[in-house]
Amino acid sequence: MTYILEAKELRKQYPNKLALRGLNLQIEPGEVFCLLGQNGAGKSTTINLFLGFVQPTAGAAYINGVEVASNPLKIKQYLAYIPENVMLYAHLTGVENLALFSSLAGFRYSEKELLEYLANAGLPAEAVRRRVGTYSKGMRQKVGIAIAVAKHAKVLLLDEPTSGLDPKASNEFSELLRRLSQQGTAVLMATHDLFRAKEVGTRVGIMREGELVDVRPTATLNANELEQLYLTYMQ
Amino acid sequence: MRTFWILVRYEWRHFRAAKGLVLLTGLVLLVGLYGIYYGTTEIERQRQHLATLPTLAHHNVEELKKKFPGPADAGDIGYYHTTFAVHHPTEWASLALGQRDVNPYYVKLRLLGLQGQLYASENVNPTKVLSGNFDLAFVLVYLFPLLIIALSFNLLSSEKEQGILVLLLAQPVRPGVVVAAKLTLRLLLVLGLALLLSAVAVAWARVPLDGRVGVWVALVVLYCLFWFGVVAIVTALQRNSAFNAVALVGAWLVLVVLLPGLLNVYVDATRPVPQGLELTIKQREEIHGGWDKPKSETMNRFFALYPQWRDTATIRERFVWRWYYAFQHLGDESVRPLVAAYTDGLRQRFALVERLAWVSPAVNAQVSLAALAGTDLPTHLAFQQSATRYHDALRAFYYPYLFRKVAFTHDDYAKEPTHTFTSTSELGTATSGLWKLLVSVGVVWATGLLLLQVRPLNPR
Repeated sequence: MTYILEAKELRKQYPNKLALRGLNLQIEPGEVFCLLGQNGAGKSTTINLFLGFVQPTAGAAYINGVEVASNPLKIKQYLAYIPENVMLYAHLTGVENLALFSSLAGFRYSEKELLEYLANAGLPAEAVRRRVGTYSKGMRQKVGIAIAVAKHAKVLLLDEPTSGLDPKASNEFSELLRRLSQQGTAVLMATHDLFRAKEVGTRVGIMREGELVDVRPTATLNANELEQLYLTYMQ
Repeated sequence: MRTFWILVRYEWRHFRAAKGLVLLTGLVLLVGLYGIYYGTTEIERQRQHLATLPTLAHHNVEELKKKFPGPADAGDIGYYHTTFAVHHPTEWASLALGQRDVNPYYVKLRLLGLQGQLYASENVNPTKVLSGNFDLAFVLVYLFPLLIIALSFNLLSSEKEQGILVLLLAQPVRPGVVVAAKLTLRLLLVLGLALLLSAVAVAWARVPLDGRVGVWVALVVLYCLFWFGVVAIVTALQRNSAFNAVALVGAWLVLVVLLPGLLNVYVDATRPVPQGLELTIKQREEIHGGWDKPKSETMNRFFALYPQWRDTATIRERFVWRWYYAFQHLGDESVRPLVAAYTDGLRQRFALVERLAWVSPAVNAQVSLAALAGTDLPTHLAFQQSATRYHDALRAFYYPYLFRKVAFTHDDYAKEPTHTFTSTSELGTATSGLWKLLVSVGVVWATGLLLLQVRPLNPR
C-alpha cells in the first residue's frame, strides 16, 4: 500500500543534538495523526523534515510516494502547512494574502472564491478587507487555514496549530480538520494538546528524545487513559 | 517564470507599503537632481567665465593701444599684454566634474616666465575643495550603494524574522526564485532611478547621443550590479537584519571610504612628486638672479638654446627687453627637470591609481566616469601641455620683434596667436574601468550564487 506520508528510518543529527533517531511512520489518506511529546522530543523536526526545510542525516521522508529531500519542490504541491503562529504580510489584507499564497501554489481564484475560503475558515466578513497588521493571532490562523484549504493539499502539516487560540476558535479548527479528513486529506499534527489530539486524531504517537515510543488509535483510549499513557512516557 | 513575476509584483506592493523606503528613494531622486543641477550650474558658470575672457583680452588691447598710440617696443607690449589659455569642458563635464574644481580651467599668460603663471590660479575656499563637488557621479558612486543597502539589507531576514518565510517556502516555490524576485525588483528600482537621473542629466547638459552614453550606462549598471552582488553575498550568509546592515555598511565604508584613502596614501608614498611650491620658488630665484648676472652670460645661455638670434647686437644698455625675456625664459629652463619630474610623477600616480582601481569599484567607477567626462588628471595635464605650447608660440611670435628690433604696431595685435583647448573623453581609461568593473561584478556574483547554492535557505 502507498502511504500518503511515510518516514523510513528518518534520522536528524544537529551539531550538538540527535533530534530524531530512526523514525518510522506511515500515515494513510484521511488519517489525522497527532504527534505528542515534550519540547525537544523531535515533533517539529519531523514536521520540518516532511516540509524539506531540513535535510535528513539518514533515512528518508516520503509524501505521496515522492522522496522529500530529492524533490523539495514537487512535494510542496501535495502539502499545506500551518505553523504555530501564522505570520502574513501585515500591509496586505486577508484576501490579498490569500490571493498571494494561492497564486504561488498555482491557483488563481476569483475574488468571490477567495472570500468564500476565508468565510469557511471562520474569518469575519468585516475583517477580510482589513490589513492583516490589525488581526489577532486567531484571525491570522484562520487566514492560514484558508491558505491551506485553498491549496487542496493531500497532506496537512500542523505545528501546534491551536496554541494560543481561544476554545471557540480551537473547536472550529477541530471541526475543519474533521471535514478535511473526511475528504481524504491526511493530517500530521504536532501538539501538546492531549484533549484536541483525542478529539480529532485517528491515531496518536508519543515521541520522546527523538523516538516514536508508542502509537495508539485514539478510538482505543479515553481522555484519561491517553493522559496516563502520556505521563508514563514523560516520567 | 509565472511564480517569479507574481513575487516581483508583490515585492513592488511591499516596497510601496514601506513608507520609509519610498521616502528614501524619493530623497535620493531629489539629491540626484540636485547633483545634476550643481554640476550643470558649475560648468555653465565656468563656460560663462571662459566666454568673458576674449572681452577681457580685447579691453587689454584697447588699453594698450591708448597707452602706446604709435609703434611700440614689443617688449612693453609683451610685458603688459595679457592673454589666456582656456580649457573648455565637454558637455559630459556637468555629469562628473572630476578635477575641474581643483585645477584652473584657464591660465592668464604674459610673455614672462611660464612656470610661475601656469600654477597661479584664483583662490578658492579650501573648505569647499575639501568637501568636493556634489555632481551626479558623486551621487551614483557614493550614495547609490547606501540606497541599495537600505533597500536590501533585510532582503530575506525580514521575512525570516517575521515568520512569513516558512509559509512562503511551504509553497511550491524555489528559494532561489524568491531571492531572485526580491533582487530583481530592487535592481529595477535602483537601475530605473540611476538611468532616469542619467537621462535627465544627458538632456539637461545637452550631451551628444553617441557611444559614450552607452559607456556611461554600462558603468552605472555594472557599478549598481556590483553592490547587489555584495548584497547577495551577505544575504547568502543567512544572518539577522542587524548583522546584514552592519556588514553592508562596513563593506561600504571599506570600499568607498577606507580603501580609496589607503590607496591615496600608498600612491603618495610610492610615487613622490616634487612640490609645486619648490618648483615655483626655484624658478623665481633663477629669474630674480637674472638681474644680477652679467648680461653676456645670460645671453650666451639663451643663444645656446636659440642660436637663430645669436647674430643680434651685443647688449651694452642697462636694460633691454630681449635680455629681460631671455632670463625669464632661462628661469623656466632651470626648472625643466623639476617640471618633467612633477608631471611624470602625476602621470605615474594616475597610472598606479588606474592599475590598482580594481581594489575598490568606487575608485574604479569614479576614475572611469571622470575619464569619460574629460575631467580627470590626464586631461588637465594635456591642457597644461597645450598652454605650454601656446606660451612657446607667443614667444616665437614676439622674439622677431624683440631681437630684430621691429616696432609693434596696432595691426600686430590681431596677428598674435590665440589659444583654445577642449577636453576630450578618455575612452581608453573609461573602457578599461568598464572591464575591471565587469570582473568585480563577476567575482561578487559568483561568490554570492555559490554561497546561496551551498547554504540551503533555512526559513526558520
